[in-house]
Amino acid sequence: MSNEATAHDHHHDHKPPFFQRWFCSTNHKDIGTLYLAISMIAAIIGGLMSWYIRLELTEPGIQYIDDFQFYNVLVTAHGFIMVFFVVMPALIGGFGNWFVPLMIGAPDMAFPRMNNISFWLLVAGFILLLLSAVIGDGPGTGWTVYPPLSNADFHPGPSVDFGILALHVAGASSILGAINLIVTIFNMRAPGMTIHRMPLFVWSILITAFLLLLALPVLAGALTMLLTDRNFGTHFFEAGAGGDPVLWQHLFWFFGHPEVYIIILPAFGIISQVISTFSRKPVFGYLGMAYAMAAIGVVGFVVWAHHMFTVGFDVDTRAYFTVATMVIAVPTGIKIFSWLATMWGGSIKMEVPMLYALAFIFLFVVGGVTGITLANASADLVFHDTYFVVAHFHYVMAIAAILGMFAGFFYWIGKMSGKQYPRGMAKLQFWVFFVGVNVLFFPQHFAGLAGMPRRIPDYPDAYVGWNYVSSVGAAITAVGTLLFFVVLFMTLRSKETVAANQWGEGATTLEWTVDSPAPFHTFEELPDMTGKAPAE
Amino acid sequence: MARRRNENGRFAFVLASVVAGMVGLAYASVPLYELFCQVTGFGGTLNTTNVSPSTFVSDKTVKVRFDSNISPKLAWRFQPLQREVTVKLGEENLAFYEAENVGIVPLTGQAVFNVTPFKAAPYFTKIECFCFTEQTLEPGQVVSMPIQYYVDPEIFEDLNTREIRAITLSYTFYPADIDGEGTESDEKVNVSARATTPNSG
Repeated sequence: MSNEATAHDHHHDHKPPFFQRWFCSTNHKDIGTLYLAISMIAAIIGGLMSWYIRLELTEPGIQYIDDFQFYNVLVTAHGFIMVFFVVMPALIGGFGNWFVPLMIGAPDMAFPRMNNISFWLLVAGFILLLLSAVIGDGPGTGWTVYPPLSNADFHPGPSVDFGILALHVAGASSILGAINLIVTIFNMRAPGMTIHRMPLFVWSILITAFLLLLALPVLAGALTMLLTDRNFGTHFFEAGAGGDPVLWQHLFWFFGHPEVYIIILPAFGIISQVISTFSRKPVFGYLGMAYAMAAIGVVGFVVWAHHMFTVGFDVDTRAYFTVATMVIAVPTGIKIFSWLATMWGGSIKMEVPMLYALAFIFLFVVGGVTGITLANASADLVFHDTYFVVAHFHYVMAIAAILGMFAGFFYWIGKMSGKQYPRGMAKLQFWVFFVGVNVLFFPQHFAGLAGMPRRIPDYPDAYVGWNYVSSVGAAITAVGTLLFFVVLFMTLRSKETVAANQWGEGATTLEWTVDSPAPFHTFEELPDMTGKAPAE
Repeated sequence: MARRRNENGRFAFVLASVVAGMVGLAYASVPLYELFCQVTGFGGTLNTTNVSPSTFVSDKTVKVRFDSNISPKLAWRFQPLQREVTVKLGEENLAFYEAENVGIVPLTGQAVFNVTPFKAAPYFTKIECFCFTEQTLEPGQVVSMPIQYYVDPEIFEDLNTREIRAITLSYTFYPADIDGEGTESDEKVNVSARATTPNSG
């Protein structure tokens, strides 16, 4: 599909032949397209896994998956694929590559060849991860890979090692990508495009890149410890030899919590652009919005232990992590209210990206509210490892991030392909998907409050009702997902082209000043932004 | 343009050093975490250095319970000789665990230990204890292992710990060479030993 996205364009600028163009690419737009393509492929695989899980959970008892290790492998692979190979590639690698250089008026990324390496490392990581599932018993550890379950006693065989190496490679890819983005944003802005005039999407990518830079190496270190624990006789997490499995949890969540902001911050950026464009107003409180994201990034590093309240902290530690976690609601609230204030009195156009942005706000607020509930250490002891947590994080980071991706897709597909998406089909797709995910995940709150545990293929009959509803929602979501690919296909085949500035006067950022589809080379002469209004 | 490239390279190098530094920090967290636990008694870590004898005996009492666990990889029977004692705060007491090698080869074990509630850890002082050294038992050998300890009366001065009425001291014995040479033969021995010992620990 990535070929079709750009093969039909008729521009005069010179493009390399097929193999060089797509396999040796150093062009930020082509690499962005490749990232979007791998994200879609991974989304299909990760999505199929989740639908298989929901199929099994439709009724109590064992219907389809009688190998419980395989069930655990599905749960694990679904988490890894969605986090590392769907959301991060699409938001950071895909839209980040495509639009950060365009929005700051740079001709390309700072290190075009490193950009290529980042992408192909990600592909290698994805292949390693898929291999891990078919070699040996597969890693049935959950995406958190807690020892002792993940150590050599309980997961002998090479599958967990494959998983570890997959994350190492994917992590290296993301770190290189982050370095590239940071250098690009700091050093390659057009004249007059000061830090405080950058579009909010660029801000969000900048902060995300810093989070990647600080969080991923910690995961890499922890994974290396686990690898040597498993294979070379070290005892970092081996209680019997003076190690401590809880240390893994600290290290993992020191990475894991910033990771959820890595996922959601770029979506924040997209939503800011979309809401500003379709309200035909600059974003309310631009600086507040930018620094709210920075604050979320900073505070995100000192709240990790709220994922592990049940390991037995003393009361002071629990009080600290509860309060610190709730503090995050302040900058997040600034963002929500600023989006509402942006729309207030605006000339709102309900185009498809705007529908997705509004749905994003709704889902994010629901997920945020349950987040405040879970932040309470004493309540969390009860909610821990129930479907309430599953519902919470799917609302707040999984589905919200996907809606952010859809918003970005429909907002920018005209710029990327030069084609108009089919408006009616896209609206239908939005409603089916939106209804589907809510029917899918909202009942999981109730199941979780009633005590339905995570990560089990079977459950007591008492939970049958909400699980059934949830599975129906999964089916609706599947239709919505299928419709997206129909819309994608129709868009790429469409004869209707779009103008350079598809969205009219609300769209003020630099990417709308170049042709649609964006030419192979852009901003060979830097635009001069001196004295212009902030680009948000 | 060349200057720009140079600048970018230098900047990327700085960022790469940040990455290297964070990896280093992940590894540094191991000794730091250990130090932190020892200093604060975090996670029920007991203070095993600079222990001083008790200087003051209070009339207040607290229950001390004894718990024992054994790794499936170690063919020992291991249990406390008393389940629970009531002790005066500040009073030095002696308690005993008993261990027996039910395997057919000499086995070396090493104990790890903690106290619950975790917050009582800073006030639980062990003066002398078998856990500080490795223990080797000949097949069939039975030893009793003493612990000399006292509970610091300060526990009643601390707002967070004054409500504690019972402290559980827990030991878990693991094979000392947890993955050293000869593990395979040991394992076979252990399995057969476990099979013939109905109530091992």
